[in-house]
Order: sequence, then C-alpha cells, then structure tokens
Amino acid sequence: MSDDRYPDWEAVYNDNVDRVYRLMYAKVGNRPDAEDLAAEVFVTALRPLRLAASVGEVRAYLLATTRTVLAGYWRRTLGREITVLEEDWALVEPAADSGHTGAGARAEAILAELPERYRRILQLRFLNACSLKEAAAELGVTVGNAKVLQHRALRQAAVVADRMEA
Amino acid sequence: MRGVRRFVKDLLRGRRTKPFTVDRTDESQLRTAIALKAGGADTGPSPEFVESLRERLRTELDDNPPVELPRGNSRRRFVTSVAAASAASIGLGAAIERGLSGAGSAVTAEPPPADQTLMPDNGEWRAVVAAKDLPDGSVRPFDAGTMIGFVRRTSEGLYAVSGVCTHLGCKLALDGPARQLNCPCHNAAFAVDGSVLHHRLPTALAPLPKLMVRESEGVIQVFVPPQPA
Repeated sequence: MSDDRYPDWEAVYNDNVDRVYRLMYAKVGNRPDAEDLAAEVFVTALRPLRLAASVGEVRAYLLATTRTVLAGYWRRTLGREITVLEEDWALVEPAADSGHTGAGARAEAILAELPERYRRILQLRFLNACSLKEAAAELGVTVGNAKVLQHRALRQAAVVADRMEA
Repeated sequence: MRGVRRFVKDLLRGRRTKPFTVDRTDESQLRTAIALKAGGADTGPSPEFVESLRERLRTELDDNPPVELPRGNSRRRFVTSVAAASAASIGLGAAIERGLSGAGSAVTAEPPPADQTLMPDNGEWRAVVAAKDLPDGSVRPFDAGTMIGFVRRTSEGLYAVSGVCTHLGCKLALDGPARQLNCPCHNAAFAVDGSVLHHRLPTALAPLPKLMVRESEGVIQVFVPPQPA
C-alpha cells in the first residue's frame, strides 16, 4: 500500500475482512449472523468508497459502518441494542494480532469471578463447545442437573459482568 | 426466560439467534452469553466465507466500481462519501429507514429539509412518557423500541425529534440545563427543536428529523415504526 493508501477495493477488503468479521462475531456470538453482518458492512461501505482516502480514514469509515450495521441488527431482531461497538480504535490502530477483540480476556475475567462449579460448566459449554451431555459427564452430574447449573451460572455471570462494566 | 434459554441454546449450537421480546433483565444475560461464546477459540472467518464474499463484491462492484479520484482534495471528498454512507447507516442504526415514507426514506448525501417529519408507512402510536412528567418547558428522552428521541412541551404544544445524530448515527445525550442534544462522537450539538447548534465537520449537518407526537389519556405518544414480529 504505497503512500498509506489502498490501491483498490480488493486491498481494502483483504486488509479488513478478518477484523470486521471478528468484531461482529464478538458482538453477536454466532458465525451465521457474524458473516451476514460483515458482508453487509462491506457491501454498504465499498460502493461509495473513494480510494484516495488514507488507510486510517478507510478503517475509521469501516468502523463507523460496522457500528451502525450492528445497531441496526439488534433493533431489527430484538428491538434493543444488546451489544455496542465501542472499540473506536480497533480498526484504525489494530493490535499486533490483527484480529484481536479482547473477547477471550473478557470471558476469562468474568469466569474468574465465579464459584468453581459455575465457572466449570460455563467453560465447558461456552469456551470448549462441549455438549450438555459431555459437560454433565465431565462434572459427574445428570444432564438435567447440568442444564440447571448452566442457567444459574449464566445468571451469576451476568451479575459479575454488569459489576465489571459499572 | 424461555426466550433467553432459546437464545443461549442457539448461540451454543452456532445457529442464528431468533427474535423475542426482551426485557432489561434479559439483556445482561444475553450480553454475557455472547461475551462468553465469543471468548472461545476459532472466532475468525472461514476461508470459504472470505472467498465467497470477495466474489460477491467483485460481481457487485464490477457493475459499478468505486470511483478513483485525483489525490488533490481527497479528504474533503472522502468525508462527503462518508456522509453519503452514513445516511444509510443512520437508517440502520435507528431503524428509521424501514417503513418510512416521504423525505425520511431517501438515502442521500444532501441534507434533508429542516422541517422534515418522519412518517412511517406502517407506524403506530406508542406511549413514551406520562403527560404529568412532561410539564411546560421540559424535555424528556424516550426509547420507543424502533426509535429513540426526545419529546418536549412548550406553551405552544408538543414536539418530538429523533435522538440519532444525522452525521454518523451516534446516540445523542440530553444536556438539560443547556437545552441541547450533544453527539458524543464528533462534538456536534443540536438544539432541543432539532436545529443544528454547532459542529466542526467539514460537511453540512442536517437537522434532526421531527416525529409526530400527541397526548392521549394522560400519556405522551409518538408515531413510530412497529416492533418487528
């Protein structure tokens, strides 16, 4: 990218698709929706884009589009903005790991505040992608108990997360 | 609670989550479930997705490729293009584009007229504040689900404006003592009647769209698009 500018739209896409997708995934938590929303960002953003803009300006523009596409998604689906994109510089000044969103560290911080069994069930189900049956076997409880434990653990985790945000 | 459980179930199975009626107590559980799920491994895009989107963009942009401009004056031109895209984004962010007719539905880089009133094709009156809580001279924020905004009462009547900045779609904050609406993103400010007070943007900033508002049986109502089914 000579002169701190992208040579063409494909360079814009190649340099940013990973970050935009990861930001969306961190905010919606599932692959199909994250893919749709990342696609919406690029379709919306690339058409009016002027390539004479600097790399920083293009990234800021993509970030603004990502934020509003995410807000629109929540309003369309749940009527409330469940998550918002606040990492203003995530696209403009990316960390060394270009896809870094801090999601892993945040999840670990929430789990660290929970009692052991709550932490374990959430780790197994959310981070390790275990089925309810696998998690129950790991914890030595019935599937029904694992389900109840998961719901209680999530409620407690939400309290912790709210406290961390306050 | 059933909605939250189904949402979490879909999330854990990697499926799209489905709409349901969310209340405030649900919100933090949904947010936390998303944070935990996103904290797992392998959250990057699949090569298949990256390639298929590239192909889609290639097809769409080859029909109408982005315009390459001379380097001179590039910043001003870029900002103009951002403004055009932002007009679309505002519709997404505030859900005001869906179901609206008239001046409010157009996506354009030109500022809309100052007396623009948003009129949903398929709107409904929604209560936003008790009439007793909106005395003469006061302003109150509201969140009607599909729209956010501010209602105010003067000796001449009731008024309502959108609560979304017309620049990049950021939520406005009410500064009651100063009677102005501040945009936290780029330091723009609007008067409570929606007119632009000041900004430092190198492009024109449109005033806030107005909303239809009325008082009925002790409550203030605004006319907004309906909630999604």
